[in-house]
Amino acid sequence: MKAVLRRELRRIASRPLEPLLLVVLPAVALAFTSAIFSAGLPRDLPVAVVDEDHSGLSRQLARMIDATPTIRVSERPADAAEAEELILSGRVYAYVLLPAGLERDVARGQAEPVVAYANAQLLVPASLVKRDLLAATSSLSAGIKLRRLRAEGETEASARVRFEPVRADIHALFNPQLNYLSYLFVALFPTLLHIFVLLAAVNSVGSELREGTAREWLAAARGSVPRALAGKLLPSTVAFLAVASAAMVALFEVVGVPVRGSLSLLLLGTLLFILAYQAIGVLLVALFANLRFATSVAAFLASPAFAYTGITFPTMGMPAFARFWGALLPLTHYLRILVDQGMKGAPSAVSARSLLALAAFAVLAPLAAWPRLRQVLRDERFWGRR
Amino acid sequence: MRAVWRHARAEARRVFRDPGALLILVAAVFLYSFFYPIPYLPQVLREVPVAVVDQDRTPLSRQLVRMADAHPLLRVAERPESLSEAEDHVRAGRAGGILVVPPGFERDVRLGRRARVGVFADASYFLVYRQVATGFLETVGTLSAGIDIQRLEARGRTGAAARALRDPVPLIVRPLFNPSEGYASYVVPAVLVLILQQTLLIGIGLLGGTAAEMPPRGASSGSCSEGSLVSADPPGRGRSRSAGMTALCRLLGRALFYLALYAVYSFLVFTVVYRVFGFPERSRALDLCLFSLPFLLACIFLALALSAVFPHRETAMQVLLFTSLPSVFLAGFAWPLEAVPSWLRTLSLLVPSTSGIAGFLRLTEMGAEIRHVRSEWLVLWALAAAYSLLAWLVERRSRPALPPG
Repeated sequence: MKAVLRRELRRIASRPLEPLLLVVLPAVALAFTSAIFSAGLPRDLPVAVVDEDHSGLSRQLARMIDATPTIRVSERPADAAEAEELILSGRVYAYVLLPAGLERDVARGQAEPVVAYANAQLLVPASLVKRDLLAATSSLSAGIKLRRLRAEGETEASARVRFEPVRADIHALFNPQLNYLSYLFVALFPTLLHIFVLLAAVNSVGSELREGTAREWLAAARGSVPRALAGKLLPSTVAFLAVASAAMVALFEVVGVPVRGSLSLLLLGTLLFILAYQAIGVLLVALFANLRFATSVAAFLASPAFAYTGITFPTMGMPAFARFWGALLPLTHYLRILVDQGMKGAPSAVSARSLLALAAFAVLAPLAAWPRLRQVLRDERFWGRR
Repeated sequence: MRAVWRHARAEARRVFRDPGALLILVAAVFLYSFFYPIPYLPQVLREVPVAVVDQDRTPLSRQLVRMADAHPLLRVAERPESLSEAEDHVRAGRAGGILVVPPGFERDVRLGRRARVGVFADASYFLVYRQVATGFLETVGTLSAGIDIQRLEARGRTGAAARALRDPVPLIVRPLFNPSEGYASYVVPAVLVLILQQTLLIGIGLLGGTAAEMPPRGASSGSCSEGSLVSADPPGRGRSRSAGMTALCRLLGRALFYLALYAVYSFLVFTVVYRVFGFPERSRALDLCLFSLPFLLACIFLALALSAVFPHRETAMQVLLFTSLPSVFLAGFAWPLEAVPSWLRTLSLLVPSTSGIAGFLRLTEMGAEIRHVRSEWLVLWALAAAYSLLAWLVERRSRPALPPG
């Protein structure tokens, strides 16, 4: 095993691609993802207000909308058509129409609803903007209502109750600040990492076939396939574990995601996650005995994986096939461990199943690959295929 | 002109005779277009299982629970005794949220005191949080409004006046372009554009690797197409032409082939794939063509320029695969660009998909016209121009390395 290890380290040091896949690109990917979300929650998203009323009330409402944290009233088009143009040009996410006669109708208590149009093609900004628009109008509404009820001789306290007899207090479990950054970051970096782990494993085994050095590699392991694989993959396991730990430190220390569950379970999960994808990489090379083709299949497994993990659109809402395919991806199980242990503080038993699934990939894939790999590594007919 | 045409045909032969290139430049385009959207096809997450802790056990509290269960976004799946028990359900993933109705709820309402209920939503999955919070807020809001109006009517106000007094400045937010706020309609059209770019970059990169793997002279698997390419250029005329001119013809010929191929794909994506998934196609055909042209050219020339750096057939895949994810988040549809640092926004303009996705979404989903996407269109033309120059320089340098005829 020592001989294989020494040989592998020489190979890594002598080629540009290996260090690129093992350390440089993952680091670049980590830096980019953190940079994208470094500013935290979106603030001051541009919104247009069409004020056709030009009254004290309409101006007050526009000011209140502008004062909300997420919205900035960036444009004041004269009419709805002009506002529509702004939406189509991508200059605002929404526009609010304050119709002529608004102040008068509100005073008479017969106002038609104010209508805002939000660009739902861009769901995230649209829902942020919607929330703050509702907050602005309902606080204006509440003020008016309070004045009116007091004018009718109610006490302030009873008036306050009157505008909301039942109130729901909303609490965000596990992520009280509703921090989109921590939520996405938790999921995105492992997703990027699994691409590299898989491609690097395919490359390190597959390149032995492409270059026809498989026999030499096997000889260094004195003919044992498990020893050959262990020596070959160990350096990248260590490298990826280091990169993943760096990302976790960034996540927990810099971004400030609390570890509510068990850190040791998280680390164990990370190790199994890396091993699982290395194992799948080995299996792909054994099956296809062609580095280029195995890489294509790996690409097919890895690039749509994020959609199937249930982080963005939850698993419970997916069609059965998508749930099934997602369960076949170690990434799904690993992200579940990260969310359960990192954010939710779930009991260990909840994560046991996910850990078991990862371990199954890490053990079963190489076992399945073994017989075929032994043949492929010895038979020159499988070498040099591109 | 005829030389350009010959190079285009030679490139076509090269792609169609190479199973590796076929896999990416033909099969992957369709495979990804239909495989990627599957998880999102239900569009809206409904019937999220929730836990209800009813500590009041009165007709009113039971009415609230029934209303919650009837809400399209919610389904009451668990009825634990306590909040901590309910939280266990959420931790174990059996419930996405909790409603707690405290004791004395109905009494408070009856006595005209404000009654409060607690809503806890799992914010470790954002969509779950959104649906649970929306579902419970709307349920409680409906109950609250009903009580309020009843009280106002009891004091002699008629229905409409009671409603106006309850909410003097009502607001309705109408979702434009994606009225059901569907998830597939939101994500998939953008990803389809990205698939066009990434398959071009990786597919052409694979062929670049093939060229690099070929022995300097002699016959290997790739040389048949190279041979036909060279024989298509008669030695007499080839020599009289400058190296730069030859490289230009070759570059234009190759670009022409990919442009033709991907024009077909764009057509298929925006008609067939859109229709299969039921996305709106609101753009005018001419606008779509006008916008696709610089987008595809920018991608193709970028791909041709990059392809020279890949030493092996698989290198492009290994190095470029991860770029899809950051590209998605820099295209401004999944994450508002206002929240991205400005240096990164500027840098991201170098990637065609950044302007491409923004423009295509507005044209096809929002029904914008070409004038609405003018800045994106101009950026794409600038990229196409810059990358074609770069690709030409690369092509000129790599030309002498090709095997002689």
